[in-house]
Amino acid sequence: MSAISELSSLSRRKGRATAEEKKANGRDNKAAYIFLLPWIVGLVAITIGPMIMSLYLSFTDYNLLQPPEWTGLDNFTRMLSDARLHNSLGVTFTYVFIGVPLQLAVALLIALVLDKGLRGLPFYRSVFYLPSLLGGSVAVAILWKQIFGTTGLVNQVLAMFGIQGPGWISDPSTALGSIILLHVWTFGAPMIIFLAGLRQIPNMYYEAAKVDGATTLQQFWRITMPMLSPIIFFNLVLQIIGSFQSFTQAFIVSGGNGGPSDSTMFFTLYLYQKGFGQFDMGYASAMAWVLLVIIGIFTAINFIASKYWVFYDD
Amino acid sequence: MPLFPRSASAAKQPAGTSSRAARRIRKTGVVAAAAAVVMALSACGGGSEPQSADGTVELRFSWWGGDKRAQLTQEAIKQFEAENPNIKIKPEFGDWSGYWDKLATQVAANDAPDIIQMDEKYITEYSSRGALLDLSKYEIDTSKFDEAALNAGKSEDGLTGIAAGINAATILANPAVFEAAGVPLPDDSTWTWEDFERIAAEITAKSPKGTYGAAAYGTDEASLGVWLRQNGKSLYTSDGKLGFEPNDIADWWAFLKQLSEKKAVPTASEVVEAEAAPLDQSGLATGKNAMAFWWSNQAPALEKASGGDLKILRFPTKTGSADDAGLWYKASQFWSASSRTKHPEEVAKFINFLANDVKAGEILLADRGVYPNSDVRAAIEPKLTPADVKVVKFIDQIKDELGEAPAPPPKGAGSIQEIIKRYTSEVLFERLSPEDAGKKAHDEMKSAISS
Repeated sequence: MSAISELSSLSRRKGRATAEEKKANGRDNKAAYIFLLPWIVGLVAITIGPMIMSLYLSFTDYNLLQPPEWTGLDNFTRMLSDARLHNSLGVTFTYVFIGVPLQLAVALLIALVLDKGLRGLPFYRSVFYLPSLLGGSVAVAILWKQIFGTTGLVNQVLAMFGIQGPGWISDPSTALGSIILLHVWTFGAPMIIFLAGLRQIPNMYYEAAKVDGATTLQQFWRITMPMLSPIIFFNLVLQIIGSFQSFTQAFIVSGGNGGPSDSTMFFTLYLYQKGFGQFDMGYASAMAWVLLVIIGIFTAINFIASKYWVFYDD
Repeated sequence: MPLFPRSASAAKQPAGTSSRAARRIRKTGVVAAAAAVVMALSACGGGSEPQSADGTVELRFSWWGGDKRAQLTQEAIKQFEAENPNIKIKPEFGDWSGYWDKLATQVAANDAPDIIQMDEKYITEYSSRGALLDLSKYEIDTSKFDEAALNAGKSEDGLTGIAAGINAATILANPAVFEAAGVPLPDDSTWTWEDFERIAAEITAKSPKGTYGAAAYGTDEASLGVWLRQNGKSLYTSDGKLGFEPNDIADWWAFLKQLSEKKAVPTASEVVEAEAAPLDQSGLATGKNAMAFWWSNQAPALEKASGGDLKILRFPTKTGSADDAGLWYKASQFWSASSRTKHPEEVAKFINFLANDVKAGEILLADRGVYPNSDVRAAIEPKLTPADVKVVKFIDQIKDELGEAPAPPPKGAGSIQEIIKRYTSEVLFERLSPEDAGKKAHDEMKSAISS
């Protein structure tokens, strides 16, 4: 039984609850809320409070050192004519729409290989998962910078074959590609989820297909893909949301300036520069809300589109 | 939707007992939560702690710079603490690149360090917004100060910065690289930009692969400032506007492009990578560049990092006469204080120590430039290392050739460097012509300092 059908059966059970049970439920919830209180305090003080504050700041001119001044929609209208902001949107979209599908494809491929019952599976699983634990970290981004530098490891290997490689991360035409590659390399988290999803597909479908003479490829497209589609959907939503917000890699690899020539100037990085580098926190707050809306739109599109390709087995 | 179905036993418990228990739980929960909030709030309070029970005051002191500066500054702190046992100085230091982001965040969070090493690019930004203390109200002796250096820290908001040292823009040369290439060192009192180009290109041609005659300029405003001054313009005007036209900066980039085409400077990719390297790993320090653009006070640190001898050169000119070099004395850095410090007297005492005490001078020597206090400068002379002596000599040497003092950078000047860097790489990667880069950069700079 998949996790989703489990949840739906839970909600069915809830529907049948008697009045007495409901009363007891209320008591239990109170206790639960009390236990949740420390977390709720944290949520309000550390997440919701600052969010409301940033919503307010997005309508102000706030330079960090003096109190904010209300300017209405000024920040948002300024965005319309900000060429660097438009460029940063382009960079971010490129990163998301190339990086995410590529990463999921690699994750699925590795998961399929590992699912074939390899000896020492736990070992390989851990090894492949490792990059995604490290990937977002500063240390790996620094390492990446070394590997893809003008005299880095990649170019040293290329030099053995007589090829003079470019400065991958210092050339505007390849810098974003190197960061996308870093993102693809951290395929571990979606891979683990794919692996779990693959394990849930009942073997009998494959056996029946084999009896009917289906090829491996046919089995993949007709059984694995539809059965796995809720998992693919889940990964897609999470990865798109996460990628829109990615910051660390570009910050470290470009030395914080989104260079060369703004080719790795992610939306988030530009936001950071505006806020903390140029003392324009009102504008940065407005940018944060624009990003939230963009992510919201793409997530909504995802959910609407999912009706046409995601298959629920219940 | 409950994720965990209730256990059957909990549901069947009689209502009476469980509500009392629940009340107790509620009470404990509220108390615990309140405690958590109080703890969290007190942790956020941060900043410098008020005077502790035994009467010692702790001050936070932040600066940017390399290893050598960190070492010297910490020695000076120790000396000060030994003389003032009731004041503790807590150092916070890092590279230039992250320093300003961090400082802006700290100031916004009301958590600014008490003593701040400040740069001329940002001092107007901070002082005009009331973030810096007017030091003239406290006991800091400025009677022995070089007048120009003292004035650099003054504005309508008071004396918000005490110059830590005097600097000049220079070209540092590594004689070992010259020698290996078999190229003689130039005579810096007569050389022109054409000579610079010819010499740099020759060194690149006669050196092993990966070594270049000169580092590229175009990564900060110092070299642009010199270029503009030599052409009768300036970076800023005294009323806080840009002092040049788009075609002036376009010429500057056109010459850089010419240098790049002749391989006098590294490839575009290498230039971008070099920007991110700290001083100790710069092209000059690692022997990959024969010449590079640095401030005079950085010479000793670079000499230490390179492990050899470095020579300080004047900028080339258009005319071949050092009198037209257009150099100026710059306050290398300022000692500033947060306007929200709880201990302004102690802060002033420490700044006074750094600026006027011979003992501090004997430790810091010329790392932050030549001492603006003439007494200290004279007193520490015998202690100076050969590298420091070179710097002091250079500063004295150019005294009669200086142009007039440039106008102070206006508010918003902190983002000029980033704009210069970005368009320099646009030009070097041939994504923009120097003319287009000049126009766009000029526009961007104009709006950066007018907002």
